[in-house]
Amino acid sequence: MYNIEPTLNDDDVMQFIHNGYITLEGIIDADFNRECDTKNGGRLNEFVHTGEFRRNVLLHPEVAGVVRSLLGDNFLVPTNAHHHLFEAPHRGQTWHSDGLTEYGYGITHLQCYYYPKEVKIEDGPTMILPGSHFRLVDREAIAHYGNILGQLSLTVPAGTVAMTRYGIWHKAGPKLNADRRGMIKFSYFRTEMPKRDWVCESDDIPHYQHKGRHPYVTEVESYRDRQRGQLTWNWLCGLTEVEETLPPVKMFNSGIPLSEITL
Amino acid sequence: MKIALNDWLDKCIDKLNADELTEVDLKDVINVWNSEKQLILYLYSKSTNLRSPLGGWALFDPTVPDEPELPSQEPPYASVLDAVRDGWRIVHFPRPELHSFSDVENAYLSFEFILEKIV
Repeated sequence: MYNIEPTLNDDDVMQFIHNGYITLEGIIDADFNRECDTKNGGRLNEFVHTGEFRRNVLLHPEVAGVVRSLLGDNFLVPTNAHHHLFEAPHRGQTWHSDGLTEYGYGITHLQCYYYPKEVKIEDGPTMILPGSHFRLVDREAIAHYGNILGQLSLTVPAGTVAMTRYGIWHKAGPKLNADRRGMIKFSYFRTEMPKRDWVCESDDIPHYQHKGRHPYVTEVESYRDRQRGQLTWNWLCGLTEVEETLPPVKMFNSGIPLSEITL
Repeated sequence: MKIALNDWLDKCIDKLNADELTEVDLKDVINVWNSEKQLILYLYSKSTNLRSPLGGWALFDPTVPDEPELPSQEPPYASVLDAVRDGWRIVHFPRPELHSFSDVENAYLSFEFILEKIV
């Protein structure tokens, strides 16, 4: 089986629980970025099956190391991808989460955004709202939201991969120019119940450390975030009996177990 | 809106006193009256207190073109009360009791005030 080493430690995992995202900036090979940047918008399912996409992106040691840390061994490697390509100026999308809200305490699905080209603020970067993956909402009922304190525009260098907990609020930001701005989106899924098998210095499981209050969050909401983060930490460490269906039953669930991948 | 209408009415009074008021002048007043537009401002307050700081905002202004604008991290006002001080009128107060409550789950942004300004 293709061996993937985890890259996150206890503190990194707690940060992810709190924020709902990790960005790996400029990690993908420049030549491969240029090749991906020429792709048409829309589905890229054939391309994502190729050995070169798997080697350069899906199983890149830093990308797969995060997946291995958060989704455990033998995760599902993506077989679907969509190239979100924007050129003309636009006002930006409305805030939303994708598909149906996935609302268990567990982390079973990572949705990733890969940027083959540098994204500047005028290019209409993806915007995310850290911590919003804890919020259960009807996506059409948040479409009137505008600026939110703590929102983050992913202005990133070429070859960046942002990895998010499915359910995080996001949108394409306002685009002021007519330059090409692409993002290839794909998802990994968990297949096994979790245990604390990321990078650990000791067998002693540390207490969950709440990482603070997001700027838009009220005081009591922050207490709830802490509570929910604790439940997710316990689940990831195998301390709770709560079972999730694995791999998760999702609308757009698709992938090949890591154990079946050959390069 | 109020200011524009007052200006037109002042002009009409001047013309009336000078015996120069015409039907066209009065139709212009009607046009001003009918041209009013409603601006809508959503403010997300950290509590139901109007003096609380804001966590989010959205302005819907039908008087400006629908052009893209860069995102901002600077709230337009320090609080809902600050916006009211600037002439905004509250048309919707948050009703927390209408939403389900639990000690674990967060959902929509709290607390949504909707304000209007007629221009």
